[in-house]
Amino acid sequence: MAIPFNARISMPAEAKAGEIIEIKVLARHPMDRGGQSDGKGGTVPRKILNRLTATYAGEEIFRFDMHTGVSANPFVSFTTKAVASGEIVFEWREDGGASFTRTARLTVT
Amino acid sequence: MSLPISLRSNAPDALRLSEKEPDSAEPRGGRTGPSRRQLVAGAAAGLALAPLPRPAAAAAPLSEHVLRLTEGVVPERARLRLEIPALVENGNSVDTRITVDSPMTAQDHVRWIHLIAEKNPFPDMARFHLSPRSGRAEVATTLRLAQSQTVTAVAALSGGGFVMAEAAIVVTLSACIDGG
Repeated sequence: MAIPFNARISMPAEAKAGEIIEIKVLARHPMDRGGQSDGKGGTVPRKILNRLTATYAGEEIFRFDMHTGVSANPFVSFTTKAVASGEIVFEWREDGGASFTRTARLTVT
Repeated sequence: MSLPISLRSNAPDALRLSEKEPDSAEPRGGRTGPSRRQLVAGAAAGLALAPLPRPAAAAAPLSEHVLRLTEGVVPERARLRLEIPALVENGNSVDTRITVDSPMTAQDHVRWIHLIAEKNPFPDMARFHLSPRSGRAEVATTLRLAQSQTVTAVAALSGGGFVMAEAAIVVTLSACIDGG
């Protein structure tokens, strides 16, 4: 029943050095806030993506700490300055310890 | 007005206090002059005004959540723009954009932006960590809101200061309906 994790990363493929680009990230996740009845007298534990980090050119450029106040299929948009051609690594951390990684390539001209 | 209730509960204390005070406005033997009601009301008013730490109580329209984040520093209501719809049909996914007017240099940048929904079961919604490499202090996300309330964005600046903005939002259908 588990929906496979999926993410859509939207950003320009190329940028001039020093240009500020906007990165939009949409992940597929139910972001279950927990607390509902599980039908057996207990409650469902919280299971959300609690953190997204973006690493680019050897440094963490953005971190998004999420709590239950972020919607299902969380969307986030942020900016970064294009410094070098390379991969931007996006890593999500889920409650329970699972993590998911996606990358996107940026060419700096 | 809660005056009659507090007046009744404070009446014995108030009388005792006014008798002890030598410079009381009420004359000692003048019981026949002012009525008993005026005397009690005057004493109660004096009691209410004197010992309460009024300035502290009056100068705190900020929510305790904001002060918890800023560790007691009062943030400036400037430079931060919180774009959120004034009315949404449901609170499941509310588009929100936050922009802070900052040069984003190593000396002067936004360290983080935090979103609070005071009436959510868990008021802390999200925190964005930024750095000079962000280039601009502009972030957007989708929020989940339990009910109509005030959403607050607080940003921490590299210089140690804080800025904030608030926006009232009407949510016609909550995001906290079980099975919804």
